[in-house]
Amino acid sequence: MTHEAIDSGIENIGVRPPTADLQHRYKVSIRNLNAWFGMKQALKNISLDIKKNAATAIIGPSGCGKTTLIRCLNRMHEMTPGATAKGSVILDNIDIYDKKVDPVVIKRRIGMVFQKPNPFPTMSIYDNVAAGLKLNGIKDKRLIGDVVRESLEGAALWEEVKNELSKPGLSLSGGQQQRLCIARALAMHPEVILMDEPTSALDPIASSKIEELIHSLKKDLTIITVTHNMQQAARVSDLTAFMYLGELVEYGTTKQIFENPQKDLTERYISGKFG
Amino acid sequence: MAEQNERSSETFANDGSGSRRHRVEIRQMMDKQSIRRRLFDKIATGVAMACVIAAIIPLGSILVEVVKNGVGALSLEFLTQPPGAIGSGRGGIGPAIQGTLIVIALASLIGAPVGVLAGIYLSEFAGSGKFPYAVRFLNDVLTGLPSIVVGIVAFVVVVLTIGSFSVWAGAFALSIIMIPIVVRVTEETLKIVPNSIREAGYSLGIPKWKVVVFIVLTSAKSGVLTGIVLALSRIAGETAPLIMTILGTSLFFTGFTDPVDALPLRIWRLASQPYESAHEFGWGAALILILLVLAMSVGLRILAYKRGFRTGI
Amino acid sequence: MTRLLDLGIDRIQNIIMDMAKLSEKSVTTAIESYEKGASTKKVIFEWSEQLRVLQDEVGDLAIELIARYQPVATDLRFIRSCMEIAYGFSRFGRYAYDIVDVLETMGSIANCDKSAVLEMSCTVREMIHTSVQALQSKDKNAAEKLYQMDDTVDALYRKYLREAITPYEKTDKRSFDPRCYISALLILRYLERISDHACYIGDSVHYIVTGTSSPRR
Repeated sequence: MTHEAIDSGIENIGVRPPTADLQHRYKVSIRNLNAWFGMKQALKNISLDIKKNAATAIIGPSGCGKTTLIRCLNRMHEMTPGATAKGSVILDNIDIYDKKVDPVVIKRRIGMVFQKPNPFPTMSIYDNVAAGLKLNGIKDKRLIGDVVRESLEGAALWEEVKNELSKPGLSLSGGQQQRLCIARALAMHPEVILMDEPTSALDPIASSKIEELIHSLKKDLTIITVTHNMQQAARVSDLTAFMYLGELVEYGTTKQIFENPQKDLTERYISGKFG
Repeated sequence: MAEQNERSSETFANDGSGSRRHRVEIRQMMDKQSIRRRLFDKIATGVAMACVIAAIIPLGSILVEVVKNGVGALSLEFLTQPPGAIGSGRGGIGPAIQGTLIVIALASLIGAPVGVLAGIYLSEFAGSGKFPYAVRFLNDVLTGLPSIVVGIVAFVVVVLTIGSFSVWAGAFALSIIMIPIVVRVTEETLKIVPNSIREAGYSLGIPKWKVVVFIVLTSAKSGVLTGIVLALSRIAGETAPLIMTILGTSLFFTGFTDPVDALPLRIWRLASQPYESAHEFGWGAALILILLVLAMSVGLRILAYKRGFRTGI
Repeated sequence: MTRLLDLGIDRIQNIIMDMAKLSEKSVTTAIESYEKGASTKKVIFEWSEQLRVLQDEVGDLAIELIARYQPVATDLRFIRSCMEIAYGFSRFGRYAYDIVDVLETMGSIANCDKSAVLEMSCTVREMIHTSVQALQSKDKNAAEKLYQMDDTVDALYRKYLREAITPYEKTDKRSFDPRCYISALLILRYLERISDHACYIGDSVHYIVTGTSSPRR
């Protein structure tokens, strides 16, 4: 799929990029990315452009490499023993796989939300959100307090927890915990947020709250979400990429993928004929 | 079309009766099994209960015996005074209590940090190479090392070097007994902390060592503390290595390079005297030792519970 | 494994094919009764009512399938198109009824020149048949064929209209009967509408197969 085709699709659904400059339309450009677990190749030569201020969904059957792909985007993949990755992932204008780039610093710019809510078990709600700032050396109490509040508001959790900030993060319900994790990621003021099946452990009501959140967050952020729930991908994303056996099969606007997929494999997967 | 439908419904009916037949068969087999299973259940429960009782009886009788025989010896003089003349029934075990506390404190000041750090290394940084394998293996060997051997080592390394029996030598020997226990428990506890917690830390751009110390270790705090308490209880009762390192004395603490007394040593001394009053003092000292271990364990637990979800950042 | 959605799609498809047969039969019967003068108003009324009921049924079923299974891709396009196609077939029935209604109102037209209507009806019947065939065989190229035939129908209609407004110049005064012109014009108009709807069915088939609207529309 060419850039122009994707762009025209985007314009149809009203997410017009701010500038016409092609370079600035894409927040992340993946080029020839390969990833392995030991000898087993999990990603095969993936090239993909992620649109700025939009939600991109990655769908595909279990084991197709979609989670591996987003874990490569903040260099989390290589932290698993035996896992390696090769290729380039360009964030704005730097290649995060460049030797000079510190993977720790990259993670401050690209936040991540995981499949199961994983608040820090020994920390209060407040400290969960503040942890990223405090442990990265920020000591200004007033600044931290402001950011905690902003982040909880951004994650639509503030109203529910504002009177119990010192309670443990684990005392919240599953859906609230996941929003706490989103707030924790937001506190770092990332430019991109990766979400790895963020609602798979949640009930439908909590899931729809997360979906609404994704929609409101993309005003300021670029969101990449992996999901095995195709209806969810159809609801929240502007662009959808379909992966199969470690390869990118089809990438296009969500409308096009779900209404008129170009590849037979995509059609069969999204209409539930396999996978 | 209609014919096809009929045929397909026929196939369905056949399937249905087949699975029905199996259902009956399976039910009958299971019913037969369930009588045996219930009987077996009862027997197994009975055996397990018997084992529990067999384990508790000696433990309980020891406690009862110690309390019964030792409680009579307790008095302010007993707790604070040095021992009187042999066989006089006067004085107390003050120096032994003081000495035990000093030696244990010093041993855990050396042993706990080294053990915890080594445990952290094995769990978080070592991975699964040959070196960490060797470390784990040696650590397990060390856990099973007879404590008298540790005493001899301490005697050779510290006592002979300094030139006298000393607090340092005792603390050294006890810390060597303590370390492998702490290492093992720390490693196991840290491994239980789910990986998703570490990844959550990494995903915030927090450096690995900070993730380990401020997130993983705090999450596993109570487990690590349990390990330390376990090790403390173990070394509090050690006698053999102390004979070869701190020797035992009737005097209060006079310096780190001098001999000092300890409860297990004192108990052993009192028990080997032929006087009834010495034996009563021995029971009293044993009771104090048990209470001391209990107090340490409860105290640390309360500490861990109170600081339950404080950040520690 | 059969997808649950497939059971519903099969049912919708069966109803659509029933509608196709019934609507084709209605139009054919209406034209025959124009040609031969037989009264078929009652039976065609029944058929057109039946078509309307079936159209509602397709609409209900389509909504149910969308609500329950959230179909995507070809499934979604098929279900959406079924609603449009069902509307087309129910219009066929309605126009067939309109044709026989005209015959009833006009009374005897046995002496009129019926060649224009019969000529156009041949094309229109072929168009209905083509559209049903296209639906059955998922033929995306039928739309083009249908539009060509529609052009012929439109041309025929305009030609007869011009003839009708200038009757004195061309025709014999003796044979002039307003009933002939009015009935023929009305029926031609209905046939022209039917041909349009046949084209729409062709469009829907094209959309089901390719996912894009046919270029003509």
